[in-house]
Amino acid sequence: MNTVLKEENNDLVMYFEGRLDTASAPRVETDVAPLKESSGHDIILDCSKLEYISSAGLRIFLSILKSAKPKGDHVYIRGISNDIRAVFAMTGFVNLFEFK
Amino acid sequence: MENQVKLDSHGETLLRQYHELRPTMEELAQEAYEQLHRAIKEQGIYVTAIEQRVKTEHSLAGKLELKGAKYKSIDDVTDLVGLRVITFYTDEVDKVAVIAKRIFDVDWQESVDKRKSHDWDSFGYNSLHYICRLKTGGMRFELQMRTALQHVWSTIEHDTGYKSNIVIPREYMRQFSRLAGMLELIDDEFSRLRMVLNDYRRQIQALVKNGRLDEVPLSADTFRSFLGLLPFDHLNRRIAAVNQAEIYPVSLMPFLPVLESFGMETLGDVQRFVDENSDDAHQLALSQLAITDIDILSSSAALQYLCLVYVLKHGGGRDGLKAIYDTINGESDSNGILADLMLEQAKTLPFMQQNFNPTDNGK
Repeated sequence: MNTVLKEENNDLVMYFEGRLDTASAPRVETDVAPLKESSGHDIILDCSKLEYISSAGLRIFLSILKSAKPKGDHVYIRGISNDIRAVFAMTGFVNLFEFK
Repeated sequence: MENQVKLDSHGETLLRQYHELRPTMEELAQEAYEQLHRAIKEQGIYVTAIEQRVKTEHSLAGKLELKGAKYKSIDDVTDLVGLRVITFYTDEVDKVAVIAKRIFDVDWQESVDKRKSHDWDSFGYNSLHYICRLKTGGMRFELQMRTALQHVWSTIEHDTGYKSNIVIPREYMRQFSRLAGMLELIDDEFSRLRMVLNDYRRQIQALVKNGRLDEVPLSADTFRSFLGLLPFDHLNRRIAAVNQAEIYPVSLMPFLPVLESFGMETLGDVQRFVDENSDDAHQLALSQLAITDIDILSSSAALQYLCLVYVLKHGGGRDGLKAIYDTINGESDSNGILADLMLEQAKTLPFMQQNFNPTDNGK
């Protein structure tokens, strides 16, 4: 699992590549810390190369959303595959995030 | 350019005393503000503003020029430090006054309820003024308490300068009076309306509590009360049980427009919708979640599955499913993908065998 953080047009974009599962979650949790500490930037979670997301991954995405909302920042999920979209739909979290 | 103020020697003495006291006044303003702010917050009163200020030198000099002889010492000027609370409703002015009486020592000789002091031919729409001291003693300060509309009146009154020495013709005074009367009437009506709405809410809450749901129209207010009964909790727990999942709490209010789009008019309709569709919603959820190891669910999952099942059982098909997601997430082509995913899963379920017609291409 690889992550890359970039600033693009005043948005913070985190690119996820590979499988976001229980094994990779602790390191990704550290990788996303700058997103939670930021303020005044919308956050884009680019999932174009994300192959799989587990509950641990969902929890990381939720924690990013939870820290961004009180600051008035938006969290967008971009480039999601149909399989991962199905995970968001079946858990009800599709109603919580904004998708690009 | 401001006019140069001419003070006599007594006025100059008072101004010097003002300069010496200025740091003390700044501290007093801050301390009184913090005590008042804290007490109002503790009582759960929501006000539009709490302000504090120390009178400027220019403002004081103007006052001393006009009526300096009235003050023996600077302590006789009671509004050097001023606090102002602006409330939404008239009855909240009285609540703030009660708080002020509790946390400060009020000088009743100097305090005045200008709201009650109008002569029959006077005009204006004024506020409640207390002259106070901190319980620990020290200088006096003025506390003004007024509604937002009283504040509007006061601000405009100040801007028009009608209180200056110029004699205002009777016809203009009459216009002021009419406007003041109108503002007072609006303030009273807002308070009355709030009381009526609070009564209505209490009645609705009683009906919900007593289970008389068919008598309760579906609205944002009533739906919120209904959610207090946790009507989707049982189904959420049934769904979560399959993977021993944690239920992550989210707001269910975004689903209200979906329920309204189904033609539901009362909470009774919503309760029947839950009762009649829970088993099928449970089946649909299990058909998706049981083959995963996902152990976290949104608390909107049950309501989402209920809505999906309701649409499918009523022949809404793919377009109906997409409409649910469009309503909740905003219109998007990606909602069509979600609709396709859900439709595909649902096709194999027993309730769809009775409803699904393979010749209609999923519509």
